[in-house]
Amino acid sequence: MIVISIALLAGCSGKSGSEAASASSTGTTEISLYTGGSLNVKELWETLIPEFEKANPTIKVKLVYLPSGTGGQSAVDRLLAAKQSGQQSVDVDLYEGSLDDMTRGNSQGIWAKLDSSAIPNLSNVDSNALKQANDMAVPYRASSVVLAYDSSRVSTPPKTADELYDWIRQHPGRFAYNDPATGGSGSSFVNTAIYNFLPADAMNSSDPSMAQKWDKGFNLLKELGPYMYQKGVYPKKNQGTLDLLASGEVDMIPAWSDMALEQLNKQLLPSTVKLAQIDPPFTGGPSYLLMPEMSTKKEAAEKLLNYVLTPEAQTIIVNKMYGYPGIKWDLMPKELQNQFASVSSGYRQFNSGDLQKEINQRWQSEVAGQ
Amino acid sequence: MSHSVKRGMLGLALVIPSFLILFVVVILPILYAVQESLIDQNSGEFGLGNYIRMFTEPAMRTNIIYTLNVTLVSTVIALLVSYALAVYLRFGKGWMARWINRLYFIPMFVPGVIATYGLITLYSNHGWMARLLLLIGIDTFPKIIYSYSGLLLANLWFNIPFATMLLSSALAAVPNSVVESARDAGASSLQLFFRFILPLSYKTMWVALTFIFMGIIGSFTAPFLIGANSPQVLGVAMQQVFSNYQETHTASAMAVFMFLLCSVMGYFYIRTMGQDLDKQS
Repeated sequence: MIVISIALLAGCSGKSGSEAASASSTGTTEISLYTGGSLNVKELWETLIPEFEKANPTIKVKLVYLPSGTGGQSAVDRLLAAKQSGQQSVDVDLYEGSLDDMTRGNSQGIWAKLDSSAIPNLSNVDSNALKQANDMAVPYRASSVVLAYDSSRVSTPPKTADELYDWIRQHPGRFAYNDPATGGSGSSFVNTAIYNFLPADAMNSSDPSMAQKWDKGFNLLKELGPYMYQKGVYPKKNQGTLDLLASGEVDMIPAWSDMALEQLNKQLLPSTVKLAQIDPPFTGGPSYLLMPEMSTKKEAAEKLLNYVLTPEAQTIIVNKMYGYPGIKWDLMPKELQNQFASVSSGYRQFNSGDLQKEINQRWQSEVAGQ
Repeated sequence: MSHSVKRGMLGLALVIPSFLILFVVVILPILYAVQESLIDQNSGEFGLGNYIRMFTEPAMRTNIIYTLNVTLVSTVIALLVSYALAVYLRFGKGWMARWINRLYFIPMFVPGVIATYGLITLYSNHGWMARLLLLIGIDTFPKIIYSYSGLLLANLWFNIPFATMLLSSALAAVPNSVVESARDAGASSLQLFFRFILPLSYKTMWVALTFIFMGIIGSFTAPFLIGANSPQVLGVAMQQVFSNYQETHTASAMAVFMFLLCSVMGYFYIRTMGQDLDKQS
């Protein structure tokens, strides 16, 4: 019955925001921006949009925010359905999503190619990142998993993954990562532990045969198990481990850079907590903006995209989200570059599609249930 | 139309709305879940594959045994504590009983998530309790959160107040005259309880037992936040299978199994109620 009610809930939520408005008669264009994720994403757009509207009085932006887990997928589903049923236009003019959304929609041709003649600031973005997204999605912000540690108890943090594993063995019970199925920071710890034994490009392969090569990584995780917090307790959710770090029950955790920096700023974490990236780095990922091919207001949407990629807008994004900018670091203000120096050394991306599910499943039976 | 036909139709018209709601929100979903659960997750064929795997896979079997263990132990302890508390509140005089009587149902008004976080803050490794004990020189604190005992604690917190409330109202209906005359005839306290109070509140005990059992076996929030990573209770495992592994059919099979467990409880409950009706008529 729980299953059914979840399905029902998911089914209902897609309908919200379907009455997006079209161009009004007064010469202003209204575009709808569909976004999701945590509350901080909503707050970010509520700051960016007024700034944009001030500079472009003829464009109004309607923000349609679908909280994470309630209907983000259904926006893409709606676009696909609109395409298949031969509709001429949709009320989604910009969509914030992931690389997965791009790939999923690309086969049906629902995303428009982004062009630097219409969006000059695309040149601010790393061209490799755009190529990876088929020029259909622009990474406008990113965050990654980093090591968060309490510097009052850890004077020299590990620099490499092997040093980290050694540190864990030498300090039993002082490290925790969360159940990988419940949050990206724990999942990044697990993924990097497995894929550090494999060639670098393995992380981008969704070939099921890859699963044969995971044994070394899982053996490492099993071996580390008894050295974890309370000999193998993996809290739920990204916040679960941050809470343990805040209360001093552990000294070191993997954490999302944006979550950790925000909580440091709000003093939810003690000020002695510091962040560092290890080598090879943990995984992370950008958030993308995509423009549906069937949008009838592409010109206005392109203006918004162009605005989002200016250093000014990116500064707001970095300050609000405590994440990485979508544009190149050297275009950002110097002081921001310094402030983020500890975490900006980079991250790897894990794009293995459904393999993530299998990693989580195997982790549950082999590592949690050992 | 005769009078009785008219009355019959009126009765039917009164029943139909509630029956329709019951049909749409309870019966249909159950049938749908049963149907989903019979489609094998791996092969896509119709059959009992999901159920066979559920009982043969070691991890899932451990989960089922763990869930039953937690549920039965919690139910028994919750019932014993509630009964003791209800009896004390019924016959106890003095300020203690009065204050407990006013306060014991407060946990029912605390939302589950908040209560769970409260338990974590209070009983975790570096929680308030551990720090208070440290003040008086005790520096070892048992592992409560993220383990079986934490789960037990949460279940007791959530279920004792409700069960106590049910049993209290049943005990309030036990006439004082019965108790006094039994005492006059020389009945001891134990005899009084087993010969008079228990039989007079037996029906409510079954109601309480059923509600505690069903509440615990289907619980999710507390086990998700303070349970161990493995084994998991069925509610948590089902959520994981459903949303993380996206195995809808396996999850449905687990849901149906849980529903069957609750039906067994429901059967005893209805039978007890039925016996009572027979006696009255």
